[in-house]
Amino acid sequence: MNEAEFAYRIRQALDEGADRLDYTVSLRLQKARALALERSVARQAAPVWVPALQLASTDAAAAGLGGGSRGSAWLLRFGLAAPLLVLVLGIVGIKQWQRDQMVAEVADIDFAVLLDDTPIDTYAHQGFGVYLRDENGM
Amino acid sequence: MATRAELSEFLAGAERRAYKQALFAVRDQDNALDIVQDSMCKLSENYGQRPVHELPLLFTRIVQNTIHDFFRRQKVRSTWITLFSALSSPDSEDSDPLESLEARPGSAAAESAADVVEREQVVKIIEQEVSRLPARQREAFLLRYWEDLDVAETAAAMKCSEGSVKTHCSRATQALAKAMRARGIEL
Repeated sequence: MNEAEFAYRIRQALDEGADRLDYTVSLRLQKARALALERSVARQAAPVWVPALQLASTDAAAAGLGGGSRGSAWLLRFGLAAPLLVLVLGIVGIKQWQRDQMVAEVADIDFAVLLDDTPIDTYAHQGFGVYLRDENGM
Repeated sequence: MATRAELSEFLAGAERRAYKQALFAVRDQDNALDIVQDSMCKLSENYGQRPVHELPLLFTRIVQNTIHDFFRRQKVRSTWITLFSALSSPDSEDSDPLESLEARPGSAAAESAADVVEREQVVKIIEQEVSRLPARQREAFLLRYWEDLDVAETAAAMKCSEGSVKTHCSRATQALAKAMRARGIEL
């Protein structure tokens, strides 16, 4: 007897055993099945959570049209990722704008220094700062 | 999409085999019934909308996963009990109980089977011997030959390779044949 034949005989015996369950076990299985079906109905009747950022077109997909669930899941992920992306881009933009501002201010100072009558070496002299402070203080 | 009637019909047809499989694995009627109930609820809650033809494979996987979860919980529980009672276990921490789980000798069923008809005796003995198989061998054998899954589906359900499924099935068949011969049963 080969493996398949032997397995078939075993299977027949197992089927017989499964058909001959105690009444209490059968009853318990019946109750379990009823509970499962109740939960299935409750699940279907439960309101579906729709994210605020989900596009209107995804409602149709979520309603059960074939293959819609994967698309709606992708859009849900995109809906969550988009604000994060905007936030990151905003932070990078602000940082860039601040740097440009700083460069512009330094450029203005450089222009002022270069256009002034005072020789540029004067600014490097240690006493010039003290002189300016004293003059302003007077 | 499965209707309520179709789902009910499917569950009614599958619940007995699922119960027996769980019983072979956990060897406790109440735990086996809990496993079947959990599996049915998971199927109906999470996959009730799926087409009817997908339900058998899904249910088989859910039952197997629920049995595995039961053993995991049992292992965690026994680890804590061992820890608190300061008793050391001879098994290593990494060992998988499913790989080496052997049945304790079933005495009550065997003794009560003495008075039943021959066929019932044979069925009981077969069930006992199936229950005594190492967990992975039993799982492969039942999925392959009782649930009618092909090798690839069985491998997917057991999360192992197709080669392992063939090996487990072959060993299970040999072990069962040997056990049947030892008990004087010709199939």
